[in-house]
Amino acid sequence: MILIRGAPSAGRAGRRRDATIVRSTGNLTATLVFIIVLLVVLDRLGAVSIPFMVQWWPFLVTPAATALGATTIAFVVGFVIAVPLGLVRAYGPDVVRRKAPASVVVAPLYGLTTGYVEAIRGTPAFVQILLISAAATRAFTGLPNVELWAGVLALTVNTIGYQAEVFRAGFQSVGQGQVDAAKSIGMRPTQIFVYITLPQSLRIILLPLTNEWIGLFKASALLWYVAVRELMWAGNYLGYTQVHPIEAFFLVAFFYLLIIIPLSRGVSYLERKKRIPGLGVPEPTRPRRAGPRPAASPAAPGP
Amino acid sequence: MIAAKGVHKWFGTLHVLKGVDLTVEKGDVLVIVGPSGSGKSTLLRCLNLLVIPDEGDILIDGVKVNDPKVRPEWVRQQVGMVFQSFNLFTHLTALENVVIGLRKVKRMPRADAERIALRELERVGLADKAEAYPAQLSGGQQQRVAIARALALNPKAVLFDEPTSALDPESIREVLGVMMKLADEGMTMVVVTHEMGFAKTVADEVLFMADGQILERGTPGELFAHPRTDRARAFVSQVLG
Ligand SMILES: Nc1ncnc2c1ncn2[C@@H]1O[C@H](COP(=O)(O)OP(=O)(O)OP(=O)(O)O)[C@@H](O)[C@H]1O
Ligand SMILES: [Mg+2]
Repeated sequence: MILIRGAPSAGRAGRRRDATIVRSTGNLTATLVFIIVLLVVLDRLGAVSIPFMVQWWPFLVTPAATALGATTIAFVVGFVIAVPLGLVRAYGPDVVRRKAPASVVVAPLYGLTTGYVEAIRGTPAFVQILLISAAATRAFTGLPNVELWAGVLALTVNTIGYQAEVFRAGFQSVGQGQVDAAKSIGMRPTQIFVYITLPQSLRIILLPLTNEWIGLFKASALLWYVAVRELMWAGNYLGYTQVHPIEAFFLVAFFYLLIIIPLSRGVSYLERKKRIPGLGVPEPTRPRRAGPRPAASPAAPGP
Repeated sequence: MIAAKGVHKWFGTLHVLKGVDLTVEKGDVLVIVGPSGSGKSTLLRCLNLLVIPDEGDILIDGVKVNDPKVRPEWVRQQVGMVFQSFNLFTHLTALENVVIGLRKVKRMPRADAERIALRELERVGLADKAEAYPAQLSGGQQQRVAIARALALNPKAVLFDEPTSALDPESIREVLGVMMKLADEGMTMVVVTHEMGFAKTVADEVLFMADGQILERGTPGELFAHPRTDRARAFVSQVLG
């Protein structure tokens, strides 16, 4: 759906695009067919009521928007903070080992960052959310929507820990040779980071970063427990006030899928479209049903 | 033009350079040979301050540059470098690899930078590959782009660290061809290489390094035909086969 672009079968590129669409709509369709068949069977068996779901799904729209908004804000704020933390994690030990003047600042910063990352990764998100929410709602009682913002804060604190590690790995995957080359033409450290390290590592970490967003979105379900009116809260409320919990939770699951599948499809499309040979995702596999093989890539030795 | 005076370097407890002196005059080609691990790369990297010497001086046009008052970035603009493993920026096309230094280091407008970059790619015979990414180029082509990248900044000298060691014979010829043309045009060059043919044809002086010291120096004719030390004799007979 989101992948359809341009005239079909317009030469080689068009054919490859068709193949991507076939593959991904295939996956999407498979998921939808699976769920619909399951629901119809359960409906026939009298276990769930499809009419109930058709009637009540609009009740979940606003809570879905809340979950999406909370996750996105947390993710973006987390991203901005995680980049410098990832830098400290990736390059801190090196600065300290070289006994550079910055060590005085970097050494404690590295220690703190590492401690933070370990604390976040080593405890359940649920515990973090309960703890931070309790603290934040106490500290800011009376503010409008204090539960929601406390929840967003908890998600942010959580995602920083994971994203910092994604960035660390991304930065470390850029080889010393690239940095040496950039130095050798007289680039300054910040220029090397902005024009060489960051663009290369972003391509490499696009996928783990997407996974982190998806994980965070699913973790936002836990905010139900701290009184945020997100999807899980809505499903629970609907299910038990209308005495149709199974239908309600099916709807909840459906909403998560509806957001996550197009997102991950969109990202992998972007990844292929913005692909640079030799970086990140491997060359797209050729469509099985799409006519003759394209000509050899220009990797052949030159004149 | 470039000189090293009493340069020492330690990596931890490993004493890699043990008081190295060298001088390269403007327009000269200096070739450094020696066994693996003798410190050739480290010496070369000291000359553009990719490695900071622990003792001794690096001089460019008589000015000491391994000094807190001199920005290493400035030094590296004056002295280009070509690496064994090419190290082209993988996310940039051949043209962009050459352009980036002009844009970000020399702060040139894009149009000027692209014009110069294309001219440099032409010089190494790769104008038609301007839009290719490094992964789409052969090793020899990548190395020629790397040479163009170094030349674009109009350096006073270029350092080459085994520029052909990772290449097949065909590509070696391409790259050596470009380097010989450069030498003919009067570029000052310091070249670590095991290509004795290249050294014999273009080197004004050859240094033989072993264990972090320069054991012998002379014209290629002298050094290859009549090595004085046992180490150099063994090395020469091994490399010349
Ligand atoms: N950054 C570094 N940290 C620690 N040791 C290093 C570092 N760089 C080089 N060395 C060591 O210094 C010694 C000299 O290395 P160098 O690369 O200068 O030798 P080389 O003569 O260029 O060898 P080759 O012909 O194999 O390239 C080696 O023992 C190497 O292991
Ligand atoms: Mg070396």
